[in-house]
Amino acid sequence: MSFIDRAAAALADPVLKTAVERTAGTAEANRAVAVEAFPDFAAARARAAAIKDHVIANLGEYLERFEANAVAAGARVHWAGTADEACAIVVDICRAAGAKTVARSKSMLGEEIGLPHALAEAGIERIETDLAEHIIQLADEPPSHIVWPAMHKTRDQVSALFRRHHASPHEDESIAAMAESARRHLRERMLGADIGISGANFLVADTGAVCTVTNEGNAELSLVPPRVHIVTAGIEKLVPSMGHAVHMLRMLARSATGAALTQYTTFYSGPKRADDADGPEEMHIVLVDNGRTAMREEGLAEMLRCIRCGACMNHCVVFRQIGGHAYGGTYPGPMGAVLTPALSGLAANRDLPQACTLNGKCQEVCPVAIPLPTLLRGWRERSWREGLEPVTTRWGVRVWACLAKRPRLYRFATSAAILGMRLWGGGGWSRSLPLAGGWTRHRDMPAPEAASFMAQYARGRRR
Amino acid sequence: MTPASSPRVALFVTCLVDLIRPRIGFAALRALEAAGCEVVAPEGQTCCGQPALNSGDRDSAVALAKSTIAALEGHDHVVVPSGSCAATIREHYPELLADDPDWRERAVGLAERTWEVLAYLDEVRGWRPDTVCAATAVYHDSCSGLRELGIKTQPRRLLAGVDGLALVPLAGEETCCGFGGTFCVKYPAISNAIVEEKADAIEASGAELLLAGDLGCLMNMAGKLHRRGSKVRAFHAVELLAGMGDGSAIGEEG
Amino acid sequence: MNAREAILGRLRGGADPATLDVEATRLLDRPERPVVDVADLVGGFLAQLAQARLGATFERIGAMADLPGAAQRYLAAQGLASALYLPPDPNLAALDWSGLAISHDCAPDQPAALAIARVGVAETGSLVLETAPQAPMLPNFLCLHHIVLLRAEAIVPHLEDAVLSGSQPRAHYWITGVSGTTDIEGQYVRGAHGPRFLHVVLVG
Repeated sequence: MSFIDRAAAALADPVLKTAVERTAGTAEANRAVAVEAFPDFAAARARAAAIKDHVIANLGEYLERFEANAVAAGARVHWAGTADEACAIVVDICRAAGAKTVARSKSMLGEEIGLPHALAEAGIERIETDLAEHIIQLADEPPSHIVWPAMHKTRDQVSALFRRHHASPHEDESIAAMAESARRHLRERMLGADIGISGANFLVADTGAVCTVTNEGNAELSLVPPRVHIVTAGIEKLVPSMGHAVHMLRMLARSATGAALTQYTTFYSGPKRADDADGPEEMHIVLVDNGRTAMREEGLAEMLRCIRCGACMNHCVVFRQIGGHAYGGTYPGPMGAVLTPALSGLAANRDLPQACTLNGKCQEVCPVAIPLPTLLRGWRERSWREGLEPVTTRWGVRVWACLAKRPRLYRFATSAAILGMRLWGGGGWSRSLPLAGGWTRHRDMPAPEAASFMAQYARGRRR
Repeated sequence: MTPASSPRVALFVTCLVDLIRPRIGFAALRALEAAGCEVVAPEGQTCCGQPALNSGDRDSAVALAKSTIAALEGHDHVVVPSGSCAATIREHYPELLADDPDWRERAVGLAERTWEVLAYLDEVRGWRPDTVCAATAVYHDSCSGLRELGIKTQPRRLLAGVDGLALVPLAGEETCCGFGGTFCVKYPAISNAIVEEKADAIEASGAELLLAGDLGCLMNMAGKLHRRGSKVRAFHAVELLAGMGDGSAIGEEG
Repeated sequence: MNAREAILGRLRGGADPATLDVEATRLLDRPERPVVDVADLVGGFLAQLAQARLGATFERIGAMADLPGAAQRYLAAQGLASALYLPPDPNLAALDWSGLAISHDCAPDQPAALAIARVGVAETGSLVLETAPQAPMLPNFLCLHHIVLLRAEAIVPHLEDAVLSGSQPRAHYWITGVSGTTDIEGQYVRGAHGPRFLHVVLVG
């Protein structure tokens, strides 16, 4: 299915619209309150962008520092150039540990590299512990949002899934009862898992710590009992020190949910110490490139600032209409429209950078000031250069530009267009217009005045 | 009068105003003259190149940037009745021509002298209208003007001077209307869903008039409102400021 | 060439390490952050704790000896049995827990567990727990009622002040409220996986 088809299906689904509006609308309102209450969010945002730029410019050094400190804390660090390499490393660790089940905490990088599929191929049972990931695992669907992966599901749909899959489902139709049902269902399962797998929100170079944030405490609960903890992290997740991590955490929580800090913000430094009361015996950290070094080299370094807060999609007029699945990748919304072509090719995703009004709201709310519209324009230029745009678009823009470069010819053409439009539609509104079906399918077109501004001006009109 | 007190202004009307609604250009001309400017509309002007820029056709965007710069140079200021076209000149020309030694400085020079008309009348000229329009209105903040040029308070300050005009709140006044230039014809169904919500908000406001600073957005919203049978009438804000709010609104014959 | 060399090979050319550290330090010069009244850290901390989003409760006691009584009062007020999980911390072992059924093994459905926080953060109302031989972590996420002991003088103004320098424990947990979720229709539900209730006992 093409992007247009997926978008059309989404637009025809009023339930989806309601579901997206509820969660994104709440997130938007909560963020606004949090940003307003912050002393100087604009300056904090510039600082956050500068921290990330500093890290991206010096990424090699920070990765090596992180590696040295993580190893000193007892973790094992692995490096993966591609998604397949990353999955193979994880599966090998699972096999070496004799693991049959893994408890997984929501990680968009895991989705990006196809880890759920790789685990299934290897015959390893996967227990998704985040409530939303649990819902979409039951529904066998991909996530539709990076913070709320089950944003597209209504309570009725969740209720039906839980009744089908939970041994002792909720007794009433309240959301609280459904959450309780998931708690019952997941508790024993995640405690019995052989391995815990998480992503990382930040990698702290000077301590070698991995930072995760969850509101549910699912990472915290599911990463203590298993014998092995595996972290998969994109190489751009580095911050120089805990102080820098604190600044980024303030920005992340406010931008994602409007909280001052995510409920559970946890820093993991290596496996269980010899005399510790609990904790995993092995900690593995898989550092994943999967196109990030290429993005840094090819004009997308600013995209590597992204801290996955989801604010850009929550505030995007297009996302709010079509939801996340229509984008067809792991990452939806504006950040997804920049990332997906980089991760899985422009040719297959050429609609994503185009399906944007360039209104700039995403950049305005981005806690690390990523110039998303500029990056999307960059993809459009590449799409044009590579000949991926439809012939009608190419000709339309070229003919227009050709005329606009020649003012006298242009005056002649505009006069002809005005005459044509007025002959077709008269003096008022037109309900249809040749070559303007995209417009008049949904809205009326005002007729032009009898002559162009420049024609009237040339004849001496001044007021 | 000194040149500073009576600046020579080049009016760049934009291709859309030139083609569809010249009244906006003449309203801008009238308001600028009332604000003490000497105004001309240079002959060589056509389109700023924004459709090419946003379609990824950089070569055409560069060519149109050069021809527009050549057409508009030589005046104290360039004034544009559109936030997005003004932003193209101010924000994007310098970037488009950054690597061209012959054009870089000309691009920066023009960018520094270019203003969106409402920002110009308010910030540069400190002008206030002396016109009347008895109506309730909502103001939609068009995205490029708002986010690329910081146009927010200027139109409201100016419109406060229109006798009889009452601005009422518009829910989501900073939310994109779904126009997006070629976006609205490339992705008509998505654009329509967005502008339907905008039309809902406009109608819910109870206002008689819809005002904004960009004809593209106005045509999108007014075209949707008319298709829905709404009685809300749409004008560019400068039309009211120039005392032309008693004429035909967008799409009305006359 | 292995993946490590390939990745690092493409990332060469940053600043030298000394310059890097100067730049990194400069990036933390006077960070923007919420204002905290350092003269009233306890008041600031408790105000954050009481925010609807956190929804925590507290009791202030004069001395450690009052802790068992405070725990008992909380459990009674919640209509819970007088039963509590205690970590193997010598500071707790010295207290008189008679009247409470104490367990040192945490059940998967443990109603209430106690923990000791190293610091509290006035900026956010966060509690910092750290792994140690006397501090198992799992009970803090298994229980429904999380009772956390915090010394009043251990409240610091900002998150930066909660950072431990030098060698790190296996893990440190910054806990700000209870386990919550907004994953179904954006509606906030408490007790998603871990604690539904957080009660802070402030000593001193």
